[in-house]
Amino acid sequence: MRRMLRLFLPLTVVAASLVTAIMAGPPGFGRGGALTIGDATAMLQKTAVIAALLAVWMFAAVALTLLSGREIRYSSVEMRASALHCFALGLVAITSFVLTAIVFSYLIPYHLGVPLLFALGVFAILTKIYGTIAVFHAIGTLIAGARTRDQLAGRKWLRGDLVMVVIGVVILGAIRLIPIVGPIIWALASVFGIGTALATKFGRREPWFLAYRAIES
Amino acid sequence: MTDQACEKYLEDPEANSAHLRTCAKCNAEAMALAEKADDAPPSIDLDALPLAPWEGSSHRAWPLVLGTAAVVAIVALALLDAAGMSPLHVVEGSLTSMEVLRTQLNRAATSLRSASLGAQVAFGVAFLLVNGLLIALLRRAPRGIDA
Repeated sequence: MRRMLRLFLPLTVVAASLVTAIMAGPPGFGRGGALTIGDATAMLQKTAVIAALLAVWMFAAVALTLLSGREIRYSSVEMRASALHCFALGLVAITSFVLTAIVFSYLIPYHLGVPLLFALGVFAILTKIYGTIAVFHAIGTLIAGARTRDQLAGRKWLRGDLVMVVIGVVILGAIRLIPIVGPIIWALASVFGIGTALATKFGRREPWFLAYRAIES
Repeated sequence: MTDQACEKYLEDPEANSAHLRTCAKCNAEAMALAEKADDAPPSIDLDALPLAPWEGSSHRAWPLVLGTAAVVAIVALALLDAAGMSPLHVVEGSLTSMEVLRTQLNRAATSLRSASLGAQVAFGVAFLLVNGLLIALLRRAPRGIDA
């Protein structure tokens, strides 16, 4: 089953990118009509911005994996073990961030909203960055991770957290370049990432809330 | 041999080891126990166990990592150059999108302030519900390693 998945996933991505490019591309691509210079320039600028952001993601992912590889790995394992929980948590967390931000914006005239809004923004951005890097690790491990010890021992380069993260960035980055489908998949990855980051408390696997237990005499 | 002697032996086998020479029943039990203790534990085939996530995780293939990062950076710079943009444009674009987000947030807060009391209460209830659900979901312990 996994072998089939590994074979069909790249084929599906290629097919989806071709179909999407034909459907969503400018009129000059495949459906008649001329591609103007303005269209081409806009497309090139868009691609350049995406590629630049991917380069930033790549450096951020390598740096964070070097600093806390174990935490990233724990989060990645959690995402693969309970994907639905992470996705649900991500959706609820994003909704909560938005509603809380509106409430904090409501409080701005009372001089309380600005610091709270700033703290929420920093927390949300850090959660997204950490979670997306955990998603990179999970995707890299799913696609290129070793399944057996023999496979692992026979590999010279394709092993280790750092390489898995880099492979994940490259795969998700390539998908991000597909029009329409790319941003949607990237957004879904962000939802998964935020959920995973919160579910594992940034890979520390500690409870968010202390449980109250009465002292037994 | 009396049961009393057997009980005395069971209380302190080392001090009463002489009892084994006179009692066939205790001797047989002691022999059986010794045989069980000498049995080697069942061997574990480590290769048959599933691969743990941490195995080989500390390996760092620097040539592959640096090579890929360099290729991505070079492609990005080349595309920026071809599009006539500088990396500063990308940063400005990101800041602009943040500004758009802030404007939308302010607009939502202003509409909430000017909304009817019923709408404000409904928003408050939705806020409490979503955050309550978030807390409930956060209470679940992660299961990744034990899965």
